[in-house]
Amino acid sequence: MGVTRRDFLKASAAATAFAAVGASALNPLKAGIAEAADDGIKWDKAPCRYCGVGCSVLVGVKGGKIVATKGDPAGPVNRGLNCVKGYFLSKALYGKDRLTTPLIRKNGKMVPASWDEALDLIASKFKDSIAKNGPNSVAMYGSGQWTVLEGYTAVKLFKGGIGTNNVDPNARLCMASAVGAFMNTFGSDEPMGCYDDLDLGDTYILWGANMAEAHPVLYSRMIDNRLKHPNVKIIDLGTRWTRTSQQADEYIPFKPHGDLAAINAIIHVILRDKLYDQAFIDKNTVFKRGTENAPYGLKDKESFDDVAKPLTFEQYKELMKPLTPEWAEKICGIPAKKLVELAHIYGDKTRKINSLWTMGVNQHVRGTWVNNLLYNLHLLTGKIGRPGENPLSLTGQPSACGTAREVGTFGHRLPADMVVMNPKHREITEKIWGIPAGRISPKPGPHATEMFRAVDRGDIKCIWIQCTNPYQSLPNLNRYRKAGDKPGTYAKKNDAFIVVSDIYPTRSTEMADVILPSASWVEKEGVFGNTERRTQHWFKMVEPPGQAKNDTWQLIELAKRLGHGGLFPYKHFDKEMFEEYRQFTIGTGKDLAPYETYYKVRGLRWPVINGKETRWRYAEGHDPKVTKGVGVEFYKAPNKKASIWFRPYEPPAESPDMEYPLWLCTGRLLEHWHTATMTGRVPELKRAMPEAVIEIHPEDAKKLGIKSRDQVRVSSRRGSIVMTAELNGRGKPEKGSTFVAFFDETKMINELCIDAFCPISKEPDFKKCAIKIQKV
Amino acid sequence: MPVSGIVLSCLEGKADEVAEKAALLDGIEVHGVLPDSQIIAVVEADTVNGEVALVEQLHEIEGVVSVRLACHYFEDT
Repeated sequence: MGVTRRDFLKASAAATAFAAVGASALNPLKAGIAEAADDGIKWDKAPCRYCGVGCSVLVGVKGGKIVATKGDPAGPVNRGLNCVKGYFLSKALYGKDRLTTPLIRKNGKMVPASWDEALDLIASKFKDSIAKNGPNSVAMYGSGQWTVLEGYTAVKLFKGGIGTNNVDPNARLCMASAVGAFMNTFGSDEPMGCYDDLDLGDTYILWGANMAEAHPVLYSRMIDNRLKHPNVKIIDLGTRWTRTSQQADEYIPFKPHGDLAAINAIIHVILRDKLYDQAFIDKNTVFKRGTENAPYGLKDKESFDDVAKPLTFEQYKELMKPLTPEWAEKICGIPAKKLVELAHIYGDKTRKINSLWTMGVNQHVRGTWVNNLLYNLHLLTGKIGRPGENPLSLTGQPSACGTAREVGTFGHRLPADMVVMNPKHREITEKIWGIPAGRISPKPGPHATEMFRAVDRGDIKCIWIQCTNPYQSLPNLNRYRKAGDKPGTYAKKNDAFIVVSDIYPTRSTEMADVILPSASWVEKEGVFGNTERRTQHWFKMVEPPGQAKNDTWQLIELAKRLGHGGLFPYKHFDKEMFEEYRQFTIGTGKDLAPYETYYKVRGLRWPVINGKETRWRYAEGHDPKVTKGVGVEFYKAPNKKASIWFRPYEPPAESPDMEYPLWLCTGRLLEHWHTATMTGRVPELKRAMPEAVIEIHPEDAKKLGIKSRDQVRVSSRRGSIVMTAELNGRGKPEKGSTFVAFFDETKMINELCIDAFCPISKEPDFKKCAIKIQKV
Repeated sequence: MPVSGIVLSCLEGKADEVAEKAALLDGIEVHGVLPDSQIIAVVEADTVNGEVALVEQLHEIEGVVSVRLACHYFEDT
């Protein structure tokens, strides 16, 4: 019997895995068999389509279709290996229900239409609304999954053409708090460190981040570091025991919202026991106090100004005196002596400390504050801006950094850390865009929650949603859609004209008046920017299905119909537009390389100066913008000094009570990414992970008479759904807490979430609200 | 049928035990146990989601730290 194609494929699969771990010599199979599997397959590189880690993938194309993917051995992020989400790359583009033609709602039904018909309708609605109600009556809701140039096109059209700042991304829901703290601490967004710190450090303190499931490739790098260096320690602080906790050296549970007290107490001990680095503090920092008793965003149009008052170090120490470990223990549940121990770990001069966090800290009604406090830990101890010891805020989408943050697709931002409120920034932008002075409005556009509240109130008449699924992912969903409606049901609540561009039907397309079929990932050329400032490019490899078109084309077609086509005069679109965008970055310390540089490399971490990437920002010897002889220099901050903020404890927006006695926390699972519009496409997958379940602590379940797999009604003050109880699942919430993943479009847990948000970042708190559970 | 090549990382000293258990799963072929507690295996199933379900089962084996995907062929799916 001869060797079949299947034998070749299996041999190749094994050989690739051996090679990925540098063990090809140990492969017992004959050389040559594996290579035959690649016959006729053309390989090219692209960053992974899913999370913010930015793994490099080799994509194999044969006969115009993707037939294989590999972890890219040349990819410095993932070094030849992908996480389980790599399996879904194959399916993300080829689901049977892919959108392939524009659809327009006629008499309540979506009917196929030509692109011209759909775009003419959109343009007429936008024109009418702008003429009758002004430019702020139209809006764009985008995505951290937009490519850099998709985001840039939207910002240029809306801010530079239409004259409204009504553009905000779904990244507002996931890392706006990180942005807020980077800006008010360092004067510039995005981290000083990079993934190399995962290999070079010896202590990793995780604050509410389930990295083993949400960022598995990075978690594996830390674990690999520990395998090689037994002194490496991983400490997992969280409100739920997870797969991360299982592998950590220590799991320290805390009560929801307890991080705000716990970190303050750790700082208290660092100050009390003089564990700080006085010389570093004197040279590199200033102390500030912000506005306290801040609101929670529960009222529409709520405004808040975080006014900074300067403090001396002595005044700061006095303010921190009452925030003792004993005080914090009562709030967070972490024993006082453990908080003291953590302070001494942070202050241990022999250890290289890294703090890591993501949604647990960011999706928090005091999210910017908690980010500030984490930076305080590193600034007070001087463990920052040095190889192997840094704070690292992780992201969840492939270009939350590259697009939402760097391009500035938020309502208040412009490219390269600039903001619409600053006249100089508007002037720079107007000059690069070649538009009349004064075209850009100085009024920040609404943040995501307020944008959809404005749609609900009727203030925004037309909204275009691209590459995201807000009618599943926003908190307090019942405000925006009818409660309890099933997938596919028309559930719109008002007269707003809604356009949704996507690749599959979602809980948002069912709200749309026009649905536009988009090209995705390698069906178009693109650039993403990941968590560690790495800008990565890929070429178009396959054609999109049917009439699907990329999002930039769609936006520019609207621009032409609104009379703003002149904003996009490019002959070679991607290259010319990127070069225009790159002008914003040059000389700012966020410098990008010429477009063609990215064709070959597996990304470069900005600033890219004289052709070289920068691994550690603000660090002498790594960042050329740092003055020689100074070591670390926060050159983007006022007077080159980072801010250490006093941020006290303030309670959550809603806490369990007699009526709603349990906490609800929402989050992610390894197998399903966000709202699962890509990972949930395949029926078999839904058999493997059929529906979202509510994880309950066994003692809480016993009190309620609930057994594992019972059907239960879960209710908050905002909504109620029936789901399955899970007592012995992969994750185990602490007593008094529950957990539900938000991927399931049939069990939209966000109907129950409170739409309270951080007053500085405007990022909602998806991690804490009060619920009750009843057995059905 | 899709085919994938994977790398299992195991707790120190557990790789042989994990490899034995993994090999019992229908659809998993163990191709090598490496000195650094890593296992090379090939996964095949009728569907991609069958592969994912197998990987999940591997995750549940005591001593498995992570399962990573090196390559995925799905030309005939």
